Amino acid sequence: MAKIKTCVSLYSLQDAYLNKRMQLDDIMRFVKANGAEGVEILPDQMLKGAPDISEETVAHWKQLLDETGLKPVIADVFLNTNLYKNRTLTHRECIALLVKEIQQVARLGIHLIRLVSMVPYWVIEPLLPYCAQYDVTIALEIHAAMAFDIPETKAFIEEMKRVNSPYVGIVIDTGIFCRRFPRVVRAYETLFGTSPQVFDYIDTLFARGTDLHHVLVENGHVYPPELEAAIQSEHDRMFVPLCDGYENYRFEVLDEYMPYIKHFHFKLFEMTPEGQEYSMDYKGLLEYLHDRGYDGYVSTEYEGNRFTLPGHKVAEEEQVAAQLAYIRKCLDEIQG
Amino acid sequence: MFDNNVFIENSCVNVEQDGNVIGYELQTNITYYRGIPMSMIEYIRVFADGKAVPQENIRISVDREDWFTMREAETVTTYKWEYGEPLYIRVLEAGGLSKGTHRVKLVVATRTAYIPVPLEGVREREVTIA
Repeated sequence: MAKIKTCVSLYSLQDAYLNKRMQLDDIMRFVKANGAEGVEILPDQMLKGAPDISEETVAHWKQLLDETGLKPVIADVFLNTNLYKNRTLTHRECIALLVKEIQQVARLGIHLIRLVSMVPYWVIEPLLPYCAQYDVTIALEIHAAMAFDIPETKAFIEEMKRVNSPYVGIVIDTGIFCRRFPRVVRAYETLFGTSPQVFDYIDTLFARGTDLHHVLVENGHVYPPELEAAIQSEHDRMFVPLCDGYENYRFEVLDEYMPYIKHFHFKLFEMTPEGQEYSMDYKGLLEYLHDRGYDGYVSTEYEGNRFTLPGHKVAEEEQVAAQLAYIRKCLDEIQG
Repeated sequence: MFDNNVFIENSCVNVEQDGNVIGYELQTNITYYRGIPMSMIEYIRVFADGKAVPQENIRISVDREDWFTMREAETVTTYKWEYGEPLYIRVLEAGGLSKGTHRVKLVVATRTAYIPVPLEGVREREVTIA
């Protein structure tokens, strides 16, 4: 029977890379040593000159794949529609940039692209011949705050269904399945001036099985009286819109999209000492996916790094290792 | 966001050219989690001892070879500010920073692919010029 496989997005180790604690070689070896089967890379993050990478860079990447045996699963691609300050790129300029990205990932031996959220639907049809030529699938990221209810995402999904090509799909980020607001975010943001009352209010929403994003949508983006009461300062008012990136969908929202799902980001804010992630029920989701025959990768994407308190170690390696171990345990129990 | 990336420690020094101090230089990492062309730098602001440096006195470079004014950088798409590599920022001011201690504040903002507002990072450091 087909099986769900593990993967690590190198996004998870960005602080180690930025501050030169680890080079790409160290990171790839770390990922392998912790038992992942695949690797996800952001070319713009760890490959110099992307998307115009040199032959040496390609050779180095392939040598690392050979050495580690890691499967190069997916590349995270961005579309710089705001490349210039004074105008937005034209459609043809956008397509040309994305064709370059397709050609780049093909050189890297990768056959799947994660298109960042908000990439417009009209790129799909012009890219299809290139996807077929280079055997590269494009998949839009469904990310909290930019998920199924957003016009841009809806338009992409509608076009994806219309063209119905094996080269077009979606990537799900599990930040849409938060059951609790991440406490590492609360701890970090309260230190920098957000009032605890704001988070207390958001916690009541999660306890009711909803989230701030959906409450604001239902209220036509007017703040409910309880939220107004929680806001203590202008800083709070500025910060509230940033709290809608944690959604509380049921897993069943994926039912109609299962045929199009190419990949998962298993978002990670905090692995707890008890073994699970603080906000998300990975085991429940893996059971759901197993029951529906999903056999792609679930990729560790650590984002707690940016909420590390001053004076504390950015625990990227520890958090990635803990999540991989927990997912492996869940998969062993579920898949045998 | 990304404040921690801004203004690399111990990077602020006076710059000498042909025996004259033409200004001072500082370095910063990017306020984003990936590299971008220089045209996507929304703005750079420098404050020395509380005083804003005029934009026309600022030059930026990713390689210390080719330098751009902020206006010029708006169209620079062939030089990329890589993730994990510094942007060099020069303030042209004859004599540079005087000997002693100064408060230098750096503000860096980049445009991102999907977030409607630029990502700004700020850091002030105490700088000692020997």
